[in-house]
Amino acid sequence: MSFWIGVGAFVLVALALLLLPWWRQRSAPAGRPWEALGVLGALPALTVGLYIYLGAPGILEEQALSQAQTRYDAEGIVRALEDKLKKNPNDAEGWYALGRAYIAFERAAEAEEALRKAATQAPKDARILAQLAEAIALGSGSLQGRPLELVTEALAINPDEEKALELAGLAAYQEEKWAEALHYWRRLLRKLPKDNDLHDAVSQAVGIAERQLAEKLGGTGMAGMPEAQERKKSPSPH
Amino acid sequence: MIPELGHVALILALQLALLQGFFGLLGASRANLSWMAAARGAATGQLLFVLLGYLALVWAFLANDFSVMNVAEHSSRLLPMQYRFTAAWGSHEGSFLLWTLMMAAWTVALAFLGRRMPAELRARAIGVLGLLSFCFLAYALFTSNPFMRLHPPPMDGGDLNPLLQDPGMILHPPLLYMGYVGFAVTFAFAVAALVAGRPDAAWARWVRPWALAGWVFLTLGIMIGSWWAYYELGWGGWWFWDPSENASLMPWLAGTALLHSLIVTEKRRSLQVWTVFLAVAVFALTLLGAFLVRSGVLSSVHAFALDPLRGLFILVFLGVVVGASLILFALRAKAVMAPGAFAPVSRESALLTGNVLLLTALGAVMLGTLYPLLLDAFDLGKISVGPPYFNSVFVPLMAPALILLGIAPFLRWGAADLGKALHDLRWQALAALLIGALAPLAFGAWRWQAALGLALAAWMILATASALRARRRASGALPLSAWGMGSAHVGLAIGIIGMGLVSAYESETTAALHKGEKAALGPYEFVFQGTAEAPASNYSAMRGTVQVFRDGREVVTLMPEKRIYLKSKMTMTEAAIRYGAFGDIYVALGEPLPGGKWSVQFYLKPFVGWLWVGALLMALGGLLAAAGLRRQRMEREETT
Repeated sequence: MSFWIGVGAFVLVALALLLLPWWRQRSAPAGRPWEALGVLGALPALTVGLYIYLGAPGILEEQALSQAQTRYDAEGIVRALEDKLKKNPNDAEGWYALGRAYIAFERAAEAEEALRKAATQAPKDARILAQLAEAIALGSGSLQGRPLELVTEALAINPDEEKALELAGLAAYQEEKWAEALHYWRRLLRKLPKDNDLHDAVSQAVGIAERQLAEKLGGTGMAGMPEAQERKKSPSPH
Repeated sequence: MIPELGHVALILALQLALLQGFFGLLGASRANLSWMAAARGAATGQLLFVLLGYLALVWAFLANDFSVMNVAEHSSRLLPMQYRFTAAWGSHEGSFLLWTLMMAAWTVALAFLGRRMPAELRARAIGVLGLLSFCFLAYALFTSNPFMRLHPPPMDGGDLNPLLQDPGMILHPPLLYMGYVGFAVTFAFAVAALVAGRPDAAWARWVRPWALAGWVFLTLGIMIGSWWAYYELGWGGWWFWDPSENASLMPWLAGTALLHSLIVTEKRRSLQVWTVFLAVAVFALTLLGAFLVRSGVLSSVHAFALDPLRGLFILVFLGVVVGASLILFALRAKAVMAPGAFAPVSRESALLTGNVLLLTALGAVMLGTLYPLLLDAFDLGKISVGPPYFNSVFVPLMAPALILLGIAPFLRWGAADLGKALHDLRWQALAALLIGALAPLAFGAWRWQAALGLALAAWMILATASALRARRRASGALPLSAWGMGSAHVGLAIGIIGMGLVSAYESETTAALHKGEKAALGPYEFVFQGTAEAPASNYSAMRGTVQVFRDGREVVTLMPEKRIYLKSKMTMTEAAIRYGAFGDIYVALGEPLPGGKWSVQFYLKPFVGWLWVGALLMALGGLLAAAGLRRQRMEREETT
């Protein structure tokens, strides 16, 4: 709507620039305003017509509708969030969102700081504790130590917290504690929607862990081992 | 939303341009004052809306709005802010829009600065410019629309061509376009004069400032382009006879001829037809240049065939402009001819001869530029016409023109005594010959390029100085226009010294060097101190360090770079140059070689800077001449 108001304003300015000098200079036999009237009618009509032919009149609605636009403009959102939190630093939810955005941009240190602030505001929020664990692990490169403590804490508050389950399973997987990894991840899989990237990745990792567990328990041959070894290098379900 | 509003602004500008043409031309022929006023209003509106459209495009670049295809193709998130701003004219679409914007700006300047002009002449010129703007805007909207959208938008753009990420390239296109547009104004005046039948002395007086302004901008634009090629392309060439360079040289040559012919028309009421013809020709040549550079024929005539609309549009536009002007010319040339006769030996005929020589040189350049394209277009084989052709044709044609340049001020208007002029100049000629013969010896070896350049330059400087002195003795103080002529002619001479000496005495060597190893060239010794990483936001670079010694004393430390741009993977050589009044030291980093060596190129470019200083003086000369015209007009208005 505001776009068409803008177009209207443009057309009015154009007509004013054209017709005002004309009006001021009108000579004695000014009895034929036909040209002026013609321009008055044709200019708006042609402008709209040409724009609909050449332009992208639908794009504004599409942009407003599609989430894609906002996702691509994530940098802008991060900046907006930062500004908002400067004014209102007690907003745990805001710090949490900013922390997740930083993680998406792989800015681990900033993510950790933001999530720490979120955790100070809401120390009993399992989501925030798990996310903080991930941020610390991203920075240090390991889930052991403080991240694992936070994950355990989060699961104590909410045993079904998805991020906490994911990280707890991953930590166990990295330590080759297959049964423990399967415990967390199977619980996670029950919570995740089926057609989802994370679901696919976790179920793939679950498959590997199951095979590893079977080998360890049964001690059967080395079949499937190289593949499993190779996968182990990148076990993250992301 | 802003790009869409920009699009609407251009659509409005298109219609206003058409109305500007309609009201300007019909208003003038019916002497309808309100229509002529409406044409000026339309011109103002056209400028406003082209500007809004242009600003919308700039905004899209600054805001990284990759939903605009033009931004997605010519910018990226990594691109530094200042280049995001200039990327707006780095693309075909954007640069055409800039051209259109400048045309609108010049039109409004004409509408407001030309208040004292005869109303019909001004309205006709505004009308012609309106029709030209209409064609430009139609071209932009229908074949080169900068506001095409992408949905959904890509995450990031493809980055700006690294060659354009440079201050020289930021200035070059706007200056050239300012020049082109200045000559669009003279074209509009020429058509107006043909329609009304009065390209008289008063007409020439109105046109001259615009022609001078266009010529000054074009001179500066070509100069910056040449300097950019010198430092950016990595081997210190300053003119390549490349078709895209020739595209701007051809209008410059014709524009130079026009400036001189306008003088004759103003002072002697003669050569009107020739002047009007030149005004048409200069503008047609700018369009030819636009066709060559913008249609894609240069990269390959077949690239043109792939997307023929753009090229075809300009070609048809060119055909209409030239065809309509020539028809008008044929119908009206008799009527505009005036009896301003002059003798075979006179200043008029000297200026005319100079004009003809300039146009002949132009023809030679045009032949060398278009011939390979035509052969290729008709599948008659591929040839390339290079510097040997251009140098061997251009230099012999220009040399007599430069000799004439010294004599012309000593010839009187109407009829002159050539023998007396030559007698007056005998010592200058002898001095020039001696300088040409002897001065090259000071450089260690006698070379003809140096001898020719120095002799011509000495002749031009001495003769110009004598002409100015004689004029001062005759009429007291020198008017600004005389200083302008002096500055332009001396500037040309200085440029020629640069050309002659650098082509005669430039030297180069390439060496494969380890860290700490040395190379020698001329009196200089270069010590390579290895390379180091020098990263930036959108490229990574290796920066070499080269110490330059002369007679054991360190002269300067140069740091040439080799850059790889992250997005486009293009490699760029960033030469390091020590500019000097008597020559430049130029070092470029080549390739890394096996075993940790680097190939490094060293060049000595004696007097090369004189080229650009000369061009600057020429532009200054144009400015002084324009200022002189303005002062004359003020004085005339005070007395009447």
